[in-house]
Amino acid sequence: MKNNLLKWYQTILISWKKNTAYRLNFLLQIIGPALVFFFIKYSLWNTIFSKNPGVKIGGYTFAAMITYHIWSFIVSLIAQGHTALNLSMDIRMGRISSYLIYPFNFWEFHTASFIGFQLLQFVVASISLLIFSLLGILPEFTWTNLVLGMTCSFYVSLFWYTLQYLTGIIAFWLEETWILRVILQIVTVFLSGAVIPLELFPAWAVKILEYTPFPYLTYYPIKIFSGAPVDLTNFFTIVTGWMIILILANSFIWKRGMRLYTAAGM
Amino acid sequence: MIRTKNLTKTFKSYKKQPGLKGAFGAFFKRDEVSKNAVDQFDLDVNQGEIIGLLGPNGAGKTTLMKMLTGIIVPSSGEIEIAGHVPWKREKEFRKKIALVMGQKSQLWWDIPSLDSFKLLQKYYEIPDKRFNEKVNMMGELLNVRDLFHVHVRKLSLGERMKLELMASLLHDPEVLFLDEPTIGLDLIAQENIRNFIKEYHELNKLTVVLTSHYMADVQALCPHLVLIAGGKKTYDGSISKFEKILGHKKNVVFNFNQSIDRSDDFWTGLDLTFSENSDEVELRLEESEVREISAAILNKFPVTDFYTEKMPIEKVMKKIMENPNILLGK
Repeated sequence: MKNNLLKWYQTILISWKKNTAYRLNFLLQIIGPALVFFFIKYSLWNTIFSKNPGVKIGGYTFAAMITYHIWSFIVSLIAQGHTALNLSMDIRMGRISSYLIYPFNFWEFHTASFIGFQLLQFVVASISLLIFSLLGILPEFTWTNLVLGMTCSFYVSLFWYTLQYLTGIIAFWLEETWILRVILQIVTVFLSGAVIPLELFPAWAVKILEYTPFPYLTYYPIKIFSGAPVDLTNFFTIVTGWMIILILANSFIWKRGMRLYTAAGM
Repeated sequence: MIRTKNLTKTFKSYKKQPGLKGAFGAFFKRDEVSKNAVDQFDLDVNQGEIIGLLGPNGAGKTTLMKMLTGIIVPSSGEIEIAGHVPWKREKEFRKKIALVMGQKSQLWWDIPSLDSFKLLQKYYEIPDKRFNEKVNMMGELLNVRDLFHVHVRKLSLGERMKLELMASLLHDPEVLFLDEPTIGLDLIAQENIRNFIKEYHELNKLTVVLTSHYMADVQALCPHLVLIAGGKKTYDGSISKFEKILGHKKNVVFNFNQSIDRSDDFWTGLDLTFSENSDEVELRLEESEVREISAAILNKFPVTDFYTEKMPIEKVMKKIMENPNILLGK
């Protein structure tokens, strides 16, 4: 048990070292997209609201909408920061051979790397919060909601990781998995409420979405941060349910994939 | 230590017609082609032995290596290594083996090698004391202690290879698989790696399976050779027997400072080949006559240089690759 924990711990350390080996790259990769995305959304809503000053859209004033997107920025950092790029590269380049030989499995290595990455993301999110607060644009919050929001975002990140893992190991069949990831990213951005809050969706669509994992990726964590009432039991049940389905799918795909694996180029 | 019986690996691929029509056709209906990359392969390697696994590109060496290390699952047949079935990939088995691939780095590129070593220490559960001993001992032997803190991507191929070898030996494996460990290295680096493997083997008596296209590696390290061609085993025996497959004769070459007379009586009855302009002759002599005939040539002709071939194995290998039937018809 202790030896096993040491393996995980050392892998997390290595993932930190790898992630921070190229400082500029690290900044661009982790904070860049979230920041760019935030400013796109800011100017989008700024344009919409400036055409109709004083109006409320879906119950949101301009200020409320910006608040929504500041929390969305934090949620996206923690919940959806991780991508499965390394994973599919490992498979395509035949690098998983190494993991089949080390007494530490492929999924263990990547999950430990994911945990290491998440800890870094936590630091980045905290610094972002601090900067927002120094700029005076940090929305009002209670510490309880902040902790609860962070916890839920981390829980969602586990789901996001299992989903990313799935798109990664599809590399056993597909030469290029990035197309799949881009499609997933776009669908997620739209359906999770990362651009348009769910209040602006038709009621019937929201009803359907409730059973999909999407709203739980961004919309509900934002609501938790901002203190709106959210049914937490429902939240955890649905996210856990989807996570179990994905874990089963992953282990099935891995087993099928290993039968196909030819260790190209060794 | 290593035993395989009727080991076979079949790869399936799809036949595709060239051109757009072929691409469309293949989308709907594909003709499957099966090929045995390794075919009914029997192998027996004793503990502490070093065997050289030789064969031309595409002969099935790497496929065999992948099956022995448990990376891929055989289509049929049996394998047993140190009491384990490799493809079951039990952690106990993985702790007993190590694989070094000359063509592929196993160290993590973006971090110094010592960090990789420390990670492997945890993976293989190596006690601190043993770990430090091994790192110091091998670091000294390979003369790489200054490189431990350098990022792996900044190392030369030769330096990296030494560290790859170190990484694979930290956990005292019982079986070491070396897949072309000297590929792409300069002569000095090749020799360093070779000497290290030899020295390490003498100290630790582990079982080694080596593939290489450099006969110097094989000559220096492997008393036992196994030849594979078209997925089948074509030779399994000692290196000295292998060298003599083409006969017991020794090759001796003489260079002269001018063209010499081929019709001279001296040459009649000898098994020889002249160069085009007759300033070089290659003789195939029985070991017992090398001394006498060489001395006579040195006396009689204007010799500028002469040598006997250093590596008969290279020549045998070349002949076999040109004409595999030499072995089948023996």
